[in-house]
Amino acid sequence: MLKVDHASVFFAARDGRTVHALDRVSFEIPESGFVVALGASGCGKSTLLNAIAGFLPLSDGAIILDGRPVRGPGADRGVVFQKDALLPWKTVVDNVALGLKFAGVSKSERRARAHELLRLVGLDEFAKALPYELSGGMRQRVGIARALATEPDILLMDEPFGALDSLTRDQMQELLISIWYRTAKRIFFITHSIEEALFLGTQVLVMSPRPGRVVARFDLDFVRRFAATGDARSIKLSTEFASLREEIRAILHRAEDFRSAA
Amino acid sequence: MSDIVQTTAVSSAEERPQPRLVKMVRFGVGEKPTAAISIATALAVATLWWLVAELDLVPHLFLPRPGEVLTQVGVLYYDGYAGASLSEHIFASLFRIVLAASIAIAAGIPLGLLMGLNRWAKGILDTPIEFYWPLPPLSYLPLMIIWLGIGETSKITLLVLAMFAPICLSAQAGVRSLPIERVNAARSLGARPLELFTDIVLPSALPEILTGVRIAVGIGWGTLVAAELIASTRGIGFMIMSAAQFLATDVVFVGIGIIAICAFAFSAAIRFIEAVLVPWKGKL
Repeated sequence: MLKVDHASVFFAARDGRTVHALDRVSFEIPESGFVVALGASGCGKSTLLNAIAGFLPLSDGAIILDGRPVRGPGADRGVVFQKDALLPWKTVVDNVALGLKFAGVSKSERRARAHELLRLVGLDEFAKALPYELSGGMRQRVGIARALATEPDILLMDEPFGALDSLTRDQMQELLISIWYRTAKRIFFITHSIEEALFLGTQVLVMSPRPGRVVARFDLDFVRRFAATGDARSIKLSTEFASLREEIRAILHRAEDFRSAA
Repeated sequence: MSDIVQTTAVSSAEERPQPRLVKMVRFGVGEKPTAAISIATALAVATLWWLVAELDLVPHLFLPRPGEVLTQVGVLYYDGYAGASLSEHIFASLFRIVLAASIAIAAGIPLGLLMGLNRWAKGILDTPIEFYWPLPPLSYLPLMIIWLGIGETSKITLLVLAMFAPICLSAQAGVRSLPIERVNAARSLGARPLELFTDIVLPSALPEILTGVRIAVGIGWGTLVAAELIASTRGIGFMIMSAAQFLATDVVFVGIGIIAICAFAFSAAIRFIEAVLVPWKGKL
């Protein structure tokens, strides 16, 4: 279980003022939970992910993964970045195997494991390609395979599909769900797309900026329904999906109006 | 119901010839081939040289004929110059530049990377480097000779100093241009500090470092020849200077030609190394 407990972050802005980036955020990600943080830019969702990944210390509060407090980055939390952050000089298979190399796994063994993961994301035939030879969607799939390679306890995904076209994005969402369903990994996922959040999350945290905080939570089961039926269209067209989408849109707009009125 | 307009591709009865292929209009030279133009220019310059010399438009003392220069290559090859064979002169110059470049690379890359990573290293080393590297190397050559003597040590030290700065500065720039996502990705995959250095920092900085090496080798040739003009009894620079004192213009021409060939070979070798080591440069 990942437990975020009253996490607060304050930054120093360039003009010396204090920016309240994250205000007492608390939530839990249970076994095989898929938690999506949804909000406009500046709502602190990336700050939250960076804190869970260990790239950023908290000003106050705690993040506890399976009983151990998070103190820095580690292979128990796999991160998928918005910009893929692959190593341009390594082939796809060696990029996927990077974490295993750091873990001291022998070359033949880590290659075999990497090929297995590339099969999982459907890129086995591109194992020997270099990252720049792949499309954006393929690079992101390599990023997912790389994050899975060290068998982390949780996958942290920072708007991983934000830069993709909408068709590729739909495919990637379905691929991610099938990976989640098969590996039963916990996932913390960031997005600014309401539809993406609703479709993917078992829980959606709606966040609002200044200070960055959680303003609403929804427990959902669209993702389990999709995993069982494989029919994305009927889910996204259902009245239930549409009414939740409008409800969340209203919450986000209200936060926006409140902010401009203040 | 709305009307649905069905469009079908109509194949024309007559066979169309090859269509006109078009491209986006580019700005600047881009990928247009220039080799043929360069070769033609070289031939034109050689012809002009031959014509000017043959028609005696300038005194023969200033401009030897192309044929004479070629003959002089043979003469120098068989008889040597000033008590040493031509290959000994070339070897003396190559030895100096290769040794100095090796020392400059071996010291410049690690120190530059360290300066990019560590506040103390940057603070301490910045002072001497920023002080000496804008100086023209020849301005402190006399000091080198006083301190280290007229032999090889002073010349190689001069060359090392001249070539060290661009390599060190480029290695620092390489660390600065390292994207933070790449570092964070490696750390979240469990990289320890040493692995972060060997697997992420060094390869990420490699394109910048190779650019620095290329600049350093260019500076190295300039400094080498100038140092040999002043204080040497061997080397291509010495040969040119000595021949000039006897107004042996054809030997001067041969010396310049040899330096041009060597410098071109070095730069081609570095381009080749770049193509092998960093094929991904500028692509991601």
